[in-house]
Amino acid sequence: MPWVTAIILLPLAGALSMLAVPPGGVVQARVHAFLTAGGTLALTAILVGLFDRDAAGPQYEDRHGWATQVGLEWTVNVDGVSIWLVALTSAIFFLAITYACFRTPERARGFLGLLLLAEAGLLGLFAAGNLVLFYVFWEAMLVPFYFLIGMWGGSDRVRATTRFVIYTMAGSLLMLVAILGTAFVGREITGQFTFDMEALRGIDFTRNESIWLFAGFAIAFIIKLPLWPFHGWMPGAYRNAPILVTVLLAAVMSKAGVYGLIKIGVPLFPEGAEYFQYHIIVMALAGIAYGSVVAWRQPTLRMLVAYSSLAHLGFVALGIMAFDNEAGQGAVLQMVNHGVVVAAAFTIVGIITARSGREDIDDLGGLANGAPWLAGVFLIVAMASLAMPGTNAFVGEFFILTGVFRHHWWAAALACIGIAYAAVYMLRLYQSSMNGPRKGADGARVEMRLRDTVVLLPLIAAMGLIALWPAAIVGATTGTVERLMAPAQIAAGRPADQIRAGVAANPPEAALPLPGDPVEAQQEVPAQ
Amino acid sequence: MSDVALSGAYLGWFVLALPLLGAIVLALIPGEPSRALTRVIGVGSVAAAFVLVVSLFAQQLSNDAERRAGTSTLWTWVDLGSLQVDLKILVDPLSVLMMLVITGVGSLIILYSTEYMSHDRDYRRFFVEMDFFIFAMLVLVLAANFLFLIVGWALVGLASYLLIGYYHDRPSAVAAAKKAFVINVLGDIGLVLAAFLLVRQLGTLDFAEVFAKAPQGLGDGTFIAEMVALLLFVGAAAKSAQIPLHTWLPDAMEGPTPVSALIHAATMVTAGVYLIVRCNVLYELAPHMSDAVAVVGAVTLFVAATIATVQDDIKRVLAWSTVSQIGYMVMAAGLGLYSSGMFHFLTHAFFKAALFLAAGIVIHALHDEQSLDRMGGLKNHLKVAYFATAAGCLAIAGIPPFSGFFSKDEILAGAIEAGTLGKVLAGVGLVGAGLTAFYMFRLLFRAFHGPEPDGGYHETPHASGSAMAAPVVILAALATVGGFIQIPFVSHNLRDWLEPAITADPGIEAGHGQETLIIVLSLAVAAIGIAAAWWLFGSGPERRLARAQKLPRLRAFLLDQWRFDEVYEAAVVQPGRDLGDAGVRAGERGVGQGPVIAAEAVTGAGARILSRVENGLVRTYAMAVIAGAAIVGAILILAR
Repeated sequence: MPWVTAIILLPLAGALSMLAVPPGGVVQARVHAFLTAGGTLALTAILVGLFDRDAAGPQYEDRHGWATQVGLEWTVNVDGVSIWLVALTSAIFFLAITYACFRTPERARGFLGLLLLAEAGLLGLFAAGNLVLFYVFWEAMLVPFYFLIGMWGGSDRVRATTRFVIYTMAGSLLMLVAILGTAFVGREITGQFTFDMEALRGIDFTRNESIWLFAGFAIAFIIKLPLWPFHGWMPGAYRNAPILVTVLLAAVMSKAGVYGLIKIGVPLFPEGAEYFQYHIIVMALAGIAYGSVVAWRQPTLRMLVAYSSLAHLGFVALGIMAFDNEAGQGAVLQMVNHGVVVAAAFTIVGIITARSGREDIDDLGGLANGAPWLAGVFLIVAMASLAMPGTNAFVGEFFILTGVFRHHWWAAALACIGIAYAAVYMLRLYQSSMNGPRKGADGARVEMRLRDTVVLLPLIAAMGLIALWPAAIVGATTGTVERLMAPAQIAAGRPADQIRAGVAANPPEAALPLPGDPVEAQQEVPAQ
Repeated sequence: MSDVALSGAYLGWFVLALPLLGAIVLALIPGEPSRALTRVIGVGSVAAAFVLVVSLFAQQLSNDAERRAGTSTLWTWVDLGSLQVDLKILVDPLSVLMMLVITGVGSLIILYSTEYMSHDRDYRRFFVEMDFFIFAMLVLVLAANFLFLIVGWALVGLASYLLIGYYHDRPSAVAAAKKAFVINVLGDIGLVLAAFLLVRQLGTLDFAEVFAKAPQGLGDGTFIAEMVALLLFVGAAAKSAQIPLHTWLPDAMEGPTPVSALIHAATMVTAGVYLIVRCNVLYELAPHMSDAVAVVGAVTLFVAATIATVQDDIKRVLAWSTVSQIGYMVMAAGLGLYSSGMFHFLTHAFFKAALFLAAGIVIHALHDEQSLDRMGGLKNHLKVAYFATAAGCLAIAGIPPFSGFFSKDEILAGAIEAGTLGKVLAGVGLVGAGLTAFYMFRLLFRAFHGPEPDGGYHETPHASGSAMAAPVVILAALATVGGFIQIPFVSHNLRDWLEPAITADPGIEAGHGQETLIIVLSLAVAAIGIAAAWWLFGSGPERRLARAQKLPRLRAFLLDQWRFDEVYEAAVVQPGRDLGDAGVRAGERGVGQGPVIAAEAVTGAGARILSRVENGLVRTYAMAVIAGAAIVGAILILAR
């Protein structure tokens, strides 16, 4: 059974099936969306169950040639990193679609169809085992998000989408150049023209090549993350998107950048990654500091969470760029944690703003009196967001910083400023809205209802599970992270006892150029 | 510390589970549970935990000294290859001593709250949070590795946040809760950084392994060892309200009085002392930091005592007195007098809980009146509170045979033996003892003696019911006799008891001469303090006022609590706020987005130019096609 292919195609089929729904067929649209998203989640759950937790390499690979001579293939698989992002995507999209089914916005068909399209794009991105496929999904997921923000968004949506697209396109064009460059330069070294991520592992690029190729990829990833100072698209997009889409942007789409970094940037171009290590660490630290300070003073609930997300992603980037096994595993865990926590946080913000009609933090107060359940859930989410020890987010942050501290203690110490600020801004968010004299709205109006419970309860349960038993996720990442980090660790000259995976020579000694090698004329190298 | 030593160690999990279950069950009962049920669950879960701890204690007593410690593991929390962390608890004499106080004094305080909080409409939430607090504190003392210590540390911070901000529609309570939480997070960061350093140097977070490897892995007196001790102390100082991280504690008085009693006497603030004692091996490796810890403790005990002398709010006097008394414990721990510090912790738990709960009776009787100015002559109305406060005052002032006498004198006598620094600090401790006697008896005289304010109370202060009186009586009795556990020249039961946990005890012991000297001196300063309090406050309010107005500038300085808050506000909080505002403004103006704005402009301009070409005239299009073809042709020819 081609599990991974099925997981990607099912939401795509669901999106296409929306075409069969007559206009105004809100009920059918809901049924289609709910069933396909639910089916995808069920398939993902089975795959997580089948997954071999100790293996390091890709598993459940589906490979279908398309234009094999030019390296174009449908190659999808999962490894110890991507399986968790696939799981996160399926779960968050299922919850989001469930929520959307309770209260569908106008033009339900289009909205739900685009959500499914975005889901297929992200699942494909995380499962892609081939750079071209990765690029196709990278671009493909942009389209549904563009329309979701542009058609259902807030007042300033046109400017927000323009900026979103300009930023992302600028990055992805560079990535396209880098992808082609990788394949061409790779062929010169191995004699094999391929975009396959596995086949590209271990290629001994010259230092210069490695630096340029890494840069091409990294800029795209950093913009997507986003990392300070490339975050310019983020405030507008997060502010103007429908809150449900903001949840998806923050919880799932933001993982595309960090995933690219750990899956492509660092393992394929170790020398380049090593060259830019400090640049990215400094950017991540600046993002943590900037995001934290600015989050504290944001006027609206939504933007406070948005900037806190900027800071939290800085931690993930930091964990990857430390080239440390523990930090890497912490970063993977933190991707999941951040997805779960920020989804819950934005959901709560959405509940409060929609029902009270107030966006500004200072216009709200004392909601806890009428809404004790929401206050309790909000408190748990706020604590998880500020990574209080005992919550799931702490686990990830702790491992990230343990690893970072081992090599760059100053970076870990500086990142701790972000932890302190997180307490300040999350308490501002929680206390100003929930505590103090009553202001803005009656608490009873914002209290959790059935649909909120349906979405928030699984998220809280996931947080609790990870907090108590992080080994459930971390235990399955060990081999993969060691394998992905090993080339960079070698490039950084780490002592041998810290490097736990070997890197096979590429090309192997006996390798010969493939007979079907395409046209000899394409020798020019775009990125030099 | 082998796994089999103490067979009952697994009972620790039940001790942990009971208060947690109590909190969860109470929280999840749908609708509004009856008050009786709330009381049963709220008090019962902690009391049951206390019974279990007593049974553990009994088992330990029946074992030899080597078999009094044991661990119990639930599951491997995470295994990263290079670092393994288990969900594991450590039951040893030190943690059992802490648990006895936490659950014992804790259940008395919760029992007391059943009546104290009876007028509150959020009755259930109060007991949920109190049980959660007990749970958090138990996690802290039961943790068998630094990671779960940090978890307990932070959970205590969260619990204190919830309880300090219990009256959550009162802005001052909300602000106080936030302050407590943020300062505690600073402490957490200290601990977390210490843990990073330990992982880096030793590759483990397990207490037993860390303490076993530390002498080789960190080295004696090396920079790393000192750094570990310093970072741990940042955590300890934040939790135990030591200067300069003490400012949250006085504000924490915004919580209901039983909460103050719980935070001050049985739980939170003693966590720092516990940490230093638990990490005695690490502190013995860091002589400079140990000295620094002792100095911080001494400075804190003095500063807090001076501030306590001018406070007019009955709870604030007690709050500052806690800061000061914890200073004694921290000083003792810094000087290597670990068991003396724990002894003072024990007696302090008794007398401070008695004092707070007695103050609660007063506040309850006077309908939430906390100012000493509007008290006086209460000894005729509130007999229980009066005798309990008197017993507490005698104990804290160190008058024999009350408990504080034994524990404080043991610290001071031991300090004299601990080198030159110890002698100086013992002097500070003596001055502090005099101040302590003064401010505590000032409280006693102002609240319970003298004339009633404004010629009498509007309503006669009503005596409390048995649920409030019983815990106060028990605690006052313990405050009276609790010191006999360890009597100078005669016995040192507590030290023997704790020996397995304090492996690095330098074994400082006071000689008989020093012991006698300290007894004489401390009795003398206590007598001076009490006499001064009587001279100033034992009489009518007129004389009191006239004398108190002397030295107005010093008085203002002390009333401002040495102006720590003002300095922090100006030096840390406001600049941070300004920075954030600047960031927000810059973000709104689009700073740093120049390239994108430019790209937008260029695209827009280009589109306008190009759209002019699309004018709908076929001949323009034809021209364009021909021109284009000509250009392509020209290039092809030229490029040949």
